[in-house]
Amino acid sequence: MRLAWDMVRHRFAAFAGTFVAIALGVGVVAGSTTLWASSQPETPQRLSATPVLVHSPSVGDNDDGYPEYRSWTIAEAAALTGRLAALPGVTAAIPDPAFYVQRVVGGRPTGDPETALTEGHAWSSAALGGYRLSAGAAPARPGEVALAGPAPGSRIDVLTARGPATWTVTGTTDGPGFYVADATAAALSAGVRLIGLTVSGDAEAVAAAARSAVGTDGTVLSGAARDRLEPESVTRIRWLGAQLLIAMVALGSFVAIFVVASTCALSAAQRRREIGLLRAVGATPGQVIRMMYAETLVVAVLGGAVGVPLGALAAPLLAPPLVAAGLEPAGFAVTGQPAALAGSFALGIVVALAGVWTAARRSSRVPALDALRDAAVEHRAMTRPRWILGVLGIAAGAALLIALPTMSTDAQSSAMMGAAMLLLVGAALLAPVLIAPLVRLTTWPWRRGATGMLVREGTLTGARRVASTAAPVLLTVGFAVLLTGTVSTISQSAGADEAADVPAALVAAPDGVPGLSDAAVAGQPGDSYLSSHALVTVGGTTTRYGVAGTDGLTGVVLSRELADLPRRLDLRFPDGTTTTLPVTAVRDDAPEAILLPRDLVRRHDPGALTPAVLLDGPAGPATGLRVLTARAYVQIDIDEEGEIVQIFLAVLLALGVGYTGLAVANTLLMATAARREEFRALRLAGGGTSHVLRVTSGEALLAVATGTLLGGTVALFCLLAARRSIEEEIGQAIELVIPWGQNVAVALVCALVAVVAAGVPVLRARAGSR
Amino acid sequence: MTITTIGTAVRLRAVSRIYGTGESAVTALDAVDVDIAPATFTAVMGPSGSGKSTLLHCAAGLDRPTGGEVSIDGVSLTGLSERALTKLRRARVGFVFQAFNLIPALSAEQNVALPLRLAGRRPAAGEVREMLAEVGLADRARHRPSELSGGQQQRVAIARALVTRPAVLFADEPTGALDTTASREVLRLLRTAVDRHAQTVVMVTHDPYAAAHADRVLLLADGRVADVLDHPAGAPEIAVRMARLEER
Repeated sequence: MRLAWDMVRHRFAAFAGTFVAIALGVGVVAGSTTLWASSQPETPQRLSATPVLVHSPSVGDNDDGYPEYRSWTIAEAAALTGRLAALPGVTAAIPDPAFYVQRVVGGRPTGDPETALTEGHAWSSAALGGYRLSAGAAPARPGEVALAGPAPGSRIDVLTARGPATWTVTGTTDGPGFYVADATAAALSAGVRLIGLTVSGDAEAVAAAARSAVGTDGTVLSGAARDRLEPESVTRIRWLGAQLLIAMVALGSFVAIFVVASTCALSAAQRRREIGLLRAVGATPGQVIRMMYAETLVVAVLGGAVGVPLGALAAPLLAPPLVAAGLEPAGFAVTGQPAALAGSFALGIVVALAGVWTAARRSSRVPALDALRDAAVEHRAMTRPRWILGVLGIAAGAALLIALPTMSTDAQSSAMMGAAMLLLVGAALLAPVLIAPLVRLTTWPWRRGATGMLVREGTLTGARRVASTAAPVLLTVGFAVLLTGTVSTISQSAGADEAADVPAALVAAPDGVPGLSDAAVAGQPGDSYLSSHALVTVGGTTTRYGVAGTDGLTGVVLSRELADLPRRLDLRFPDGTTTTLPVTAVRDDAPEAILLPRDLVRRHDPGALTPAVLLDGPAGPATGLRVLTARAYVQIDIDEEGEIVQIFLAVLLALGVGYTGLAVANTLLMATAARREEFRALRLAGGGTSHVLRVTSGEALLAVATGTLLGGTVALFCLLAARRSIEEEIGQAIELVIPWGQNVAVALVCALVAVVAAGVPVLRARAGSR
Repeated sequence: MTITTIGTAVRLRAVSRIYGTGESAVTALDAVDVDIAPATFTAVMGPSGSGKSTLLHCAAGLDRPTGGEVSIDGVSLTGLSERALTKLRRARVGFVFQAFNLIPALSAEQNVALPLRLAGRRPAAGEVREMLAEVGLADRARHRPSELSGGQQQRVAIARALVTRPAVLFADEPTGALDTTASREVLRLLRTAVDRHAQTVVMVTHDPYAAAHADRVLLLADGRVADVLDHPAGAPEIAVRMARLEER
């Protein structure tokens, strides 16, 4: 261990690559896991003052894995509230209906449209958050409201599902939300799903009592369990953010192992003599392995010691951008996560030891006689395990690609990614073999010049060195082409598909609001429907379906895919009531799964909004409405999705390119520094520094070109195979879109880093020799 | 020293070393028999390509002969595993090479202590310092190899080779990279080790002046022992024998 420490201290330059890779890797992982662990479900603030909450019962999980709840009917809610209020220790049982309301200032709806859907509440529920009036009186009649901000007596413009209204402010609250008279709230909201209990005495005892009182009519939540009441929209946002963070952790660890492995392999090759000497003076192979592990351990501990604080400090800085990008909910704050930091530190050590594994085993087999050899000459570019693994990787990847059309759609995308990884790793392993012919080919035009000859012979004899530079470039360019190609191709074809579904040329669409109010829709020429949902129970399973409330219907119309449902349907509406209706028709072009008469939907879902109006005449002006072309309307959704995908892409590519840069720079710095003698000889033979630089730059560019070519080819093959299988499946031609600009940029960054990294040791050597 | 020696420190019996196979095979050693007596200083000489380095490598267990048997201190090397061979080298053999003898990261003191530490032994207090004092470098203990002259580095290497009190010390052109003064100092140290501590030393060299310090000179040609010179009178005599050998 002492020996390892001295080794590391003395030759820190040789370990710098490992150190930086581990420090950055641990930093990325520590930051990501801190963010991830900080992003926990929380009891919504406006329920935080309520120790016991009763939620309406779940009817099972939906396709996304979230529980689906039904509402209580007004009668059910009233009965339950009465039962709960009578329990000992309960001071009040307060139902919490929520409804859509948005403030309008200067004709423009304000605030976040999604959150506005549940901004309206009954006044009595203000107590659930512990909110009080700081001035004025509670609202008592329709058209009265209490909220934070405006002074009592002032009038504010609002928008509800019915349309614009002007409300009188009766009181100022010290918490967010619009609070109206209880009766008004009940009329505006679509059913009650939550009853809060304020208690005196032990909350847990009350919760237990409530549990037996409620039975199967609901779920009683107390203490930390109340965190489950996090709104689904917030849960989704956190889920999205978690996907990005998980991807960052996975990619960060993968590339860190890769960089450490290649750095260790190179430095082990350069230390052959030293290891031979150790073997000669009596180090057993086991001792050599242990020494290399110990060295790496020292570097990993140092790297972790830098990386952990780096990640811990970076995490809070990343929180605001994540919130802005819609990947963490508003108000998200980073908390200290010692477990995440300790885990990242440990991961750094595991990653480093995994990376040094093969290098240490190879070094242990260095014969003692090597201490007597001058050789920096590479003996063999390829070892047998390298051949075997490389060929296996290519074969397995190719087999997966060939089998692609026979797989299910779900399995296809992960199979494609798996195939790409296998092929890329295989290509990286076989790179030394492929480099020779590629180099002959690309340098053919310059074979007569001195630089051309030197570059050509240098790369041909040092195929392994060139391969270590080309490998990270290969991986990055490969993944870049693959990811950008997949994303662009999908969004291109998806955009075309969805635009085809929108028949009218012009659309009256929501503008800063979650949907159009009845008032905005009234009088617009064209087709529209109220968007709602209903729970349908068939044979014991309950499913939630989208419901469209349209004009000119008398019964239930089903879309084609629901044609198997029974002819009489039990529908449970958002307000909790159940109605049995006959199915009158099945339609192909239904906008939602189930079509119902508009007034029926409105009656059972007072909060329902209209997504858009397909215009067949000029639209009239209304608050929160704008007219768009069909294409632009569809594009909004695509852009929103595309924006998040672009963020994912940008983050992952930046991480990948960053690590490639590190790997390339490190390989070249180490390799060029070790070739100082060779370059001195070149100088003695009459070459100037510019000459040496031309040779190093030429070699570096050649390595990057080789990596780019191989990576690009492999990725292209994967994309073509994926396209073929998808085309076969949907029976429609797909245009393969590859954003060449982005990929060329990736390759150029690699090239720039490579040339600089290869040139710096040469210039430094010159400065030193003067 | 408590190691019991059975007549010879190093014994080579019909040792052959052939590199390559078939037509391109090169015979570096051709059934060589050599006995090295304990507490003697043996020089191995010969024209380049005569097999003198191969002889040293095989005798020291760095290289495995293709035929014959090598014993060090009565232990046969034939059939020993890499690990067992390493342990034997560690315990009974010391090495001094022409160049690159020291680990650059370690100080002189640490380099000397290295074989002991690799054997899992903590050097006794003063043991390493004493060794360094013996080669005249007590004041350089904490210096790194890059801070020492070539001659000083070679002396540290000798101290390291002797610290385990090995049965035999092998030196491969130890003065090859040194100037005259430093060479003389290194040879004097080797001679002292033999005379004062009954150390067995085998040295490969091409320099008659260096060989003149030995008790016995083995002259190799074409992988065989061509001539043996006991108690050489001086460098000129060795040079004459060498020249005769090269003329054949």
